[in-house]
Amino acid sequence: MADVITVPQVQPVQPALKFLRVIPGVLLLAAVGYAGKLLEQNVGAYAKAHHWTFPNIEYVLWAILLGLAISNTVGVPEIFRSGVATYEFWLKAGIVLLGARFLLGDILKLGGVSLVLVAIEIIGSLAFMTFLGRLFKLKPKLTTLLAVGSAVCGVSAIIATKGAIDADDEDSSFSIAAILALGALALFTFPVIGHFLHLSDRAYGLWAGLGVDNTAEASAAGALYSDAAGKLAVLVKSTRNAMIGFVVLAYAIYWASKGQAQAVGNKAAFLWEKFPKFVLGFLLISVLATYHFFNKDQVGALANLSRWAFLLTFAGVGLQTNFSNMRKQGLRPFAVGAIGEVVIAAFTLALVYGAGKIFGW
Amino acid sequence: MTTEVEVVKSGSRWKPSLDTLAVLVAFLLALLVRTGVFKHVPW
Repeated sequence: MADVITVPQVQPVQPALKFLRVIPGVLLLAAVGYAGKLLEQNVGAYAKAHHWTFPNIEYVLWAILLGLAISNTVGVPEIFRSGVATYEFWLKAGIVLLGARFLLGDILKLGGVSLVLVAIEIIGSLAFMTFLGRLFKLKPKLTTLLAVGSAVCGVSAIIATKGAIDADDEDSSFSIAAILALGALALFTFPVIGHFLHLSDRAYGLWAGLGVDNTAEASAAGALYSDAAGKLAVLVKSTRNAMIGFVVLAYAIYWASKGQAQAVGNKAAFLWEKFPKFVLGFLLISVLATYHFFNKDQVGALANLSRWAFLLTFAGVGLQTNFSNMRKQGLRPFAVGAIGEVVIAAFTLALVYGAGKIFGW
Repeated sequence: MTTEVEVVKSGSRWKPSLDTLAVLVAFLLALLVRTGVFKHVPW
């Protein structure tokens, strides 16, 4: 007779302990974000009082710059790291709450236009990145990860694809580093180009949502331009995020057909697993706001909660970006990513101009 | 004599993803605003 031993599943870290561990980092996010907000309010006023010419720098940029300064000088001590890594959580909660500021009709109208643009952007970007990867003789799975990261939604797409196509850890960290470095560059270049070209809030928001890879950086690049552009960038980026399951599924089937990844069993379950649930949350809050579940003051309160969540996110974007770590990953994937990003940025800008002409914006 | 050991995992609980957790927290906050617990959120 077999001896049956029941081994309870060991929980490596208790939830309460896990919660306590993130507190220092979350407090750091709040401190950096709030410092950014104070700098926005005070630096401008100080410069004005002393008759200095000083550009009006928004809290978004201050928070990112402060985070970058800490991360790239003294570094983020170990005690803060797990809390700082929660910035993606705040981003997603912020996007859901932002849904209260969108009426369903606007989402359907803008979402419909952006869905068409997103589809064109994804197909064009995947094709171009695949071509570039082959040209630079990158490993095929590394090329796939870079293509998905640039075309769909940055780090989340790379992580989802890595699991689905059995890619190496090294390939995924290369791709993530390249996408994050390029996202950081986009934060500073997109608003400058947008102002140079005198883009409207709508055109710029569409462009940032289509052209910047990572959701946090796309939201920040939008918010750096204007509040309206930030709102639209989040909507367009969420539309891109919603496509993640389909793209990852297509690549999983492709690599499985080559015998280099596990076959996908239940495709519907696969799509549901990969689908970003915060997009559904965003839509649901928007439906509730459209049908007056919240009054005007409550919508205002939800919008402010969303701003606070984004404040933590923007601080986290800076604190998580370490340029020397990125340099260690090597130049070739970065070069492929950089060339790809420049072409994708130009391509998406042309798409936005084309859409503007068609819809008369 | 050989002893066959069968390992049975127990206590597997539903663990929400980061995405789901963010949605739940956002909805909880929305509920607190709706019910008047948070009347005014400054910015």
